[in-house]
Amino acid sequence: MATYNLPPKPVKSVWKKLKAGLIILAVIALYVWTFRGIEIDWGRAMERVIRNFGIVIPKLFSPDWSAVGEVSMKILETIFIAFAGSFMAAILAIPLGFLAAQNMSGNRFIAGIGKWILSGVRAFPDLILAILFVVAVGPNAFAGVLAIAIGSTGMLGKLYSEVIESIDMNVIEAMEASGANKIQILFYGYMPQIIPEFLSYAIYRFEIDIRASSILGIVGAGGIGTMIIFAANNRNWNEMGLILLAIIIVVTVIDFLSARIRRKIV
Amino acid sequence: MIEFKNVGLVYPNGTEGLKNVNVTIKDGEFVVIVGLSGAGKSTFIRSINRLVTPTSGELLVDNEDILTYRGANLRKLRTKIGMIFQNYNLVKRSNVLKNVLAGRLGHTGTLRSIFSMYKKEDVALAYESLQRVNIAEKIHNRADELSGGQQQRVSIARVLTQKPSYILADEPVASLDPPTSHQVMTYLKKINKEDNITTIVNLHFIDMAMEYADRIIGMRAGEVVFDGPASEVTEKTFEEIYGRTIREDDLRGGADES
Repeated sequence: MATYNLPPKPVKSVWKKLKAGLIILAVIALYVWTFRGIEIDWGRAMERVIRNFGIVIPKLFSPDWSAVGEVSMKILETIFIAFAGSFMAAILAIPLGFLAAQNMSGNRFIAGIGKWILSGVRAFPDLILAILFVVAVGPNAFAGVLAIAIGSTGMLGKLYSEVIESIDMNVIEAMEASGANKIQILFYGYMPQIIPEFLSYAIYRFEIDIRASSILGIVGAGGIGTMIIFAANNRNWNEMGLILLAIIIVVTVIDFLSARIRRKIV
Repeated sequence: MIEFKNVGLVYPNGTEGLKNVNVTIKDGEFVVIVGLSGAGKSTFIRSINRLVTPTSGELLVDNEDILTYRGANLRKLRTKIGMIFQNYNLVKRSNVLKNVLAGRLGHTGTLRSIFSMYKKEDVALAYESLQRVNIAEKIHNRADELSGGQQQRVSIARVLTQKPSYILADEPVASLDPPTSHQVMTYLKKINKEDNITTIVNLHFIDMAMEYADRIIGMRAGEVVFDGPASEVTEKTFEEIYGRTIREDDLRGGADES
């Protein structure tokens, strides 16, 4: 076997080693100081945790089957909210995606504005958006749809713009060279390259939206979340068990389907 | 007819792409432009369909100065000039027929093309073009299922469907192996002779240039340093064009295999 002489590793200076050590020490000191500041009776806390676990966990695993009807209606509503929201976002994100793509707007400044709008939209967490829309349109599923739509538009717009920026511009050049006009190039050069990726991202976002919309009900924006908050407040752990079971099943099934569809598309 | 009159091109970064180029290309000629990479071959070819715009001089295509063209005029010019690229530039996810029909876009109304309502003659023309380059059986395959040589033949079919008066080919064989390169050049030559389409090809392989060209134009550093019939060209000429001795990798070889 041949032996290779690798070039020697650059030697770290003593000062660098010392600096790393000092930083580690400082971080440890910070933690110790913080935990000493917490006034808590660790013994009692642990005891309560263990006792509550004993009560709650077994109940979660014996779901209250009498609530199946109500839970399935609400979970259906959750799916609808997610679907309507992602569908709206998938369409709203298209113009924004084009605006934010540098190779489309052909202008750093305009693309910058597009990117800035999209970051601005993305900065709002779904729950905050839901609260805003509950205030605006009342505590119903429509508020949830709007919250999901706006929240997803931010992410989809960003992903769309990246798809557009990554397409093969040589194809576009070839079409320009054959005398096609801008609209024809859009349909023959851009669309075949971007539509499959757009769809794939929209479906992926729908997957995320299912999870997001299942908690929106906590602030009154419709869906299964309303039942979660009631069950938790009433300590109705058997019903909570059923709700969680329903969410797990729906999320798993949709993840599975979405993965399969997306594999087919691209 | 294409006439370069004192054409110069300076890129925004200050590079001189073309320097005082004076060339006349008559209808039906098969011209090969040779030169090292960076010599201005691409700039020369791309000036003709205005993918780049020269900054000085006059460039006449069919006796009209095309340097002032914009918008509709420019698209009209481009519909009569077909172009073939080194990387084929097909839409990989679309099928062969759709790619070939794209050559017809310049002749088709916007609405018609959006709804893919091509005229019967256009579809027939697309099919006939594919037959001419011997790839008609792949008509319903997706472009990314084809090999490099097959993709280049599809791109030739696309150009044929455009029914151009001029064909520009920018390094059409640089990504292909020797036998396929000869096949592609043979098709280009055949089309040039049969349809009397003026063809201008960029190549950097000197053996291929000598084999296929009627006329060879040599470029170095943006200037035309040689212009003459292929029969007058020897290795010595190429050494002058390249400014160095000829090496193994300046030759494509494999002429006998195709």
